[in-house]
Amino acid sequence: MQRLVGLETEYGLYIEGKNPSELVFEAAEVVRSYNASSFASPWDYRREDPRKDARGFHVQQLQVDPVDAQYDTEAVASAHMSAETRSDRVLPNGARLYNDHGHPEYSTPECVSLRELVAHDRAGERIVWSCAQEYMRRTGLKVHIYKNNTDFHGASYGCHEGYLMRRSVPFEQVIRGMMPFFVTRILYAGAGKAGVETPGIFGDVPYQLSQRADFFAVEASVDTLYQRPIINTRDEPHATPSRYRRLHVICGDANMSEYATALKVGTTRLVTEMIEAGWQPSIAIRNPVETIRRLSRDPHWKWEVELEDGRTMPAIEVQRLYLREAQSRFAHADSETQWLLMAWENTLDMLQHDPQQLADSLDWVAKRLLLEQFIENEGVDWKEPIVQSLDLAYHSIDPQDGLFAGLEQMGAVRRVVTDKDIERAMCHPPSSTRAWVRGTLVERYPQAISAITWSRVQLTLGEQVVTLDMRDWVTQRVPQKVQKLAKAHNLTEFVNTFREWHASRKHDAEGGNQ
Amino acid sequence: MMQWRADDRLTRTIPSDPITRKGGEEGGPTTPKVSRPDVNDLLKRMKRVDPDQARRYRQRSGE
Repeated sequence: MQRLVGLETEYGLYIEGKNPSELVFEAAEVVRSYNASSFASPWDYRREDPRKDARGFHVQQLQVDPVDAQYDTEAVASAHMSAETRSDRVLPNGARLYNDHGHPEYSTPECVSLRELVAHDRAGERIVWSCAQEYMRRTGLKVHIYKNNTDFHGASYGCHEGYLMRRSVPFEQVIRGMMPFFVTRILYAGAGKAGVETPGIFGDVPYQLSQRADFFAVEASVDTLYQRPIINTRDEPHATPSRYRRLHVICGDANMSEYATALKVGTTRLVTEMIEAGWQPSIAIRNPVETIRRLSRDPHWKWEVELEDGRTMPAIEVQRLYLREAQSRFAHADSETQWLLMAWENTLDMLQHDPQQLADSLDWVAKRLLLEQFIENEGVDWKEPIVQSLDLAYHSIDPQDGLFAGLEQMGAVRRVVTDKDIERAMCHPPSSTRAWVRGTLVERYPQAISAITWSRVQLTLGEQVVTLDMRDWVTQRVPQKVQKLAKAHNLTEFVNTFREWHASRKHDAEGGNQ
Repeated sequence: MMQWRADDRLTRTIPSDPITRKGGEEGGPTTPKVSRPDVNDLLKRMKRVDPDQARRYRQRSGE
């Protein structure tokens, strides 16, 4: 099955002179500064249900951070939910840009190849930064945008991943199979953080692997804003619900490194395939919530985990359990998977022998070395405020000021895509997924779009309202018919071609070709 | 001292789009133009960082 993947990044927003209670409005202004010629809205929220749990029930209410509740006057609370404040924009590249809880959020279009996904993730950085620049030009206010996950005062915001899976896999198996993997993948997917935000029994360390590890309170739940889980159980497939689910991963850090992004998403996708095929790891981790925090903060980089059966095991060995299974299953897979398996193995080897060798690949290593160098050169202490400010600066998407951006401009970090790939992704949707249809409609006929989601586009065509339903367009490559759709001379022709194609796909699907 | 490795790209090409679109000044967002810094420039960037930025930085919880 073709496995769609996507990334949703909530960006940290700092506007000089504005406080957090104003960010809901200002983030909307930043998003509305998107100045390309075409985009589509409104987003159709009627079809979303974030309270639906993949384990087969609904929760009455999602939890809210009590600190945020203090900021929320009645006006802010009601504005926050309005379409005007959320300011959804679906872009010609198939992505979604909007204001989520006071953060500009960029969700990539659905991708198949890792390289495509990385290019679209990086395109998001540039698009959000172009919005910030336009906002600054208009208001005269200085804006900082951070692709990170913490404000160092206890507020976290996410970089979520979406993985298409078959509905037939019981979600309990997904939880059991993914948990040891998620707890230990921070060894290479962590973006690094100066300090801790939940001190206590896990120790107060100057630097840890993960931005997010401090914020998990439970193993699995549908919540995302407070008392966060390692495994999110939100059941929003954005595809035919009887056949598919979307594993909505919220435990990851936002990576600046293209290599880390590719490794994080690529390995996770392989593991979802293994779980779906019925494989389960032979081990379970005792107290995953405590373990992920302890791993993140281990100052000696021993990274040991305690298993349910009482044994201890190096976290790297936990990852190797998954790697070995992947190597045996995907030995003859495509070249991208071969690259991924090699990168995964090499990364684990280097983590075991000399993690500092990964300074060109992993965010937590690169940032740590930068901070160490500054601390040594300037004679400051890890606990001085400048260190967390430098941590923030690493994640700045301003190409003139960002520290990761500086490393990249020096040629000091591994690239997965070229600048040309990123520029292309800023304007073009992936051509092998349904995002192509969405993006092309936005590019060509934005005025005709009256509602839009990941899986549906509602169009006004003369007196008619037409809905293009792509819920089932998730497992087959789209390009066969792209040329024909691309040649449509007008919207009517486009819709008619789509319908013909849709009917034939439905026929194929019912014949068991998926 | 940091050890940096050479470029190591994935070799697969990104599928081409059958429609040619124009970005930049012709209707899309643009990529910022920056020059290539050296190590000293990076150190200068670090020294330019406001030490109080993290202390002032406050966000709402996101997802």
